[in-house]
Amino acid sequence: MIDKIANILLVEDDYLDSMIVERNLRKMNVLHKLFIARNGQEALDMLRGNGYEKISPLPSIIMLDINMPRMNGLEFLSELRSDSAFKDIKVFIMTTSDQEEDRTASEKMGVSGYIVKPFNLNNSSSSKDSFNLFIDLMNLKK
Amino acid sequence: MKIASLIFVGFTVILLLFSITTYVNYRQSVKVQENTEWVQRSQLVIRQAARLHRNITEMESSLRGYLLTDEPTFLEPFDSAASENKQLYTELKTQVEHNLFQEKRLADIEQLETRWQMEVAKPLIQAKKNAFMSDSARQVFSNMYSDKIKKGSERIINNQIRQKFKEFNNYEYDLREVRRATLGDSVEDTEAISFVLTTLSIILGLAIAFYISLTISRRINTMVQLADRIASGNFGIFIQDSSRDELGHLAKSLNSMTKTLSENISQLERKNEELDRFAYVVSHDLKAPLRGIENISYCLEEDYGDEMPVQVKDYLSLMRGRIHRMENMIKGILELSRIGRQKNPVEVVNTKLMLQEIVEMLSPQTGLQVFVQPDMPVIETEKIPLQQVFINLISNSVKYHHQKNGKVIVGCEEKEDCYEFFVTDDGPGIEPKYHEKIFIIFQTLKERDAFESTGVGLAIVKKILDDKKCTIKVLSEIGNGATFVFTWPKHVVDHISS
Repeated sequence: MIDKIANILLVEDDYLDSMIVERNLRKMNVLHKLFIARNGQEALDMLRGNGYEKISPLPSIIMLDINMPRMNGLEFLSELRSDSAFKDIKVFIMTTSDQEEDRTASEKMGVSGYIVKPFNLNNSSSSKDSFNLFIDLMNLKK
Repeated sequence: MKIASLIFVGFTVILLLFSITTYVNYRQSVKVQENTEWVQRSQLVIRQAARLHRNITEMESSLRGYLLTDEPTFLEPFDSAASENKQLYTELKTQVEHNLFQEKRLADIEQLETRWQMEVAKPLIQAKKNAFMSDSARQVFSNMYSDKIKKGSERIINNQIRQKFKEFNNYEYDLREVRRATLGDSVEDTEAISFVLTTLSIILGLAIAFYISLTISRRINTMVQLADRIASGNFGIFIQDSSRDELGHLAKSLNSMTKTLSENISQLERKNEELDRFAYVVSHDLKAPLRGIENISYCLEEDYGDEMPVQVKDYLSLMRGRIHRMENMIKGILELSRIGRQKNPVEVVNTKLMLQEIVEMLSPQTGLQVFVQPDMPVIETEKIPLQQVFINLISNSVKYHHQKNGKVIVGCEEKEDCYEFFVTDDGPGIEPKYHEKIFIIFQTLKERDAFESTGVGLAIVKKILDDKKCTIKVLSEIGNGATFVFTWPKHVVDHISS
């Protein structure tokens, strides 16, 4: 059914959070290769191959935290959207921030989902929808 | 000019006018008094002169009587009149003093009378007295009599006297008339002057009073209105009053007071906002590591669950319990910090329906009944905070009820400027010494281990009501249930714009 492994880029500065994401993906039996960047700048460099080995093929999904050092999630998102090479990448925000301004700003930049951490089903309905969409996307790749 | 000076000057002017009026009236009354005295003196002179004239006439008749009858008794009136006349002359002389014409006339009359006495009366009386002694003497009298009386030399003198009296009296009558006229005039003058001056003082006094009260009261009214607006929370206003008097000074003070108040309030609002923001950020950031700890606990259980002793599993579960408690507390702080920051839509709220929904949502255990009184109001207000207050109060009543059966009653009483809602229960009650404490965040009356509670509910209620400038009070005794009474505005209040 599947012919290739999904490449996923996780942009997350918290080691523990990235570990949990990794565990959950593994539990979901998603065939994937997970790349982890610690901030927005590092993620961009990894996508472009600046000082890092370029991610190839480009990841189909980016899971993005908002509060990060050096370059935060929203800055990264705006950089990403200004580069047409990355236009097919789906972006999911995964953050602890449920502030309205962060949500609207990220929606303006065309994210596929906004998931408020913790990463489970007990969140608000919009988070739940995003989460379901995310799960669906994962299953498609299976 | 200062208002005090203005009032002083006004009153001084009025007092001055009244003093002038009084002085002028006094002067006029003195004049009237003088003129009255003059009139009275003229009357006295006329009376005295009449008496003098009568005395002289009487002397003439007594002389004739004596000469005809030789009866000495006839001479008695003559002598008494003569002596009285001396007195009358003296008096009259002083009364007509300084009036040269009347003095002259009086002197003429006296002279004529003396002449009559010396030339006519006295010689004739003497001759008559001697007449009985001898014929020659009788002849002498007879000759003298015909010489003085018959030939009319006496009458000439008498006529002259009569003439002088006529002149004297006429003059005095005229004088009396003139003085009467003067008296009348001065009385009229007095009336006119005092009328004019009094009217003038009243008009001027009224004008000054009117001016002062109008200008001062208008400005005071303006200031009172502005002060009212300041009191109602509008600190952005400025009183325009550049006068350099006391009211101008007051306006300046009010302006600087409003400025200070406005600065302080906006500073306070800023601080409050900062505090809420701080609480939000801090609690938000606290959540992340807590979640990490929780995640690790699950990882431990997932990865080593089979190998773990039961006691370790218990510890892990205890740990998770504390994590949840802390999460709830953080959530409480977050909720608390959100109150007042969020703008809630104003809508028409049927409180009865709203309360029924709340009761349904809380679904209290069987045996516990929540009654909502039938006559609940429909209010145009922010629904969410009111709902929150009811949820927290009713859920407390339900949650802390100590018996299997019990009831909670929710009702409302309409007051003049607000609604007074109450939530009353027949639960365990609250000791009066805790009535204040229960509204403080994280204060619980039961041990947390025995009764899971964050102690945030009533703090949220209090903050919502404080934000709406409403009040809440607890009526409770231990063992007798508790009643929470809170007010809610009838109308939507505009918040002071920051």
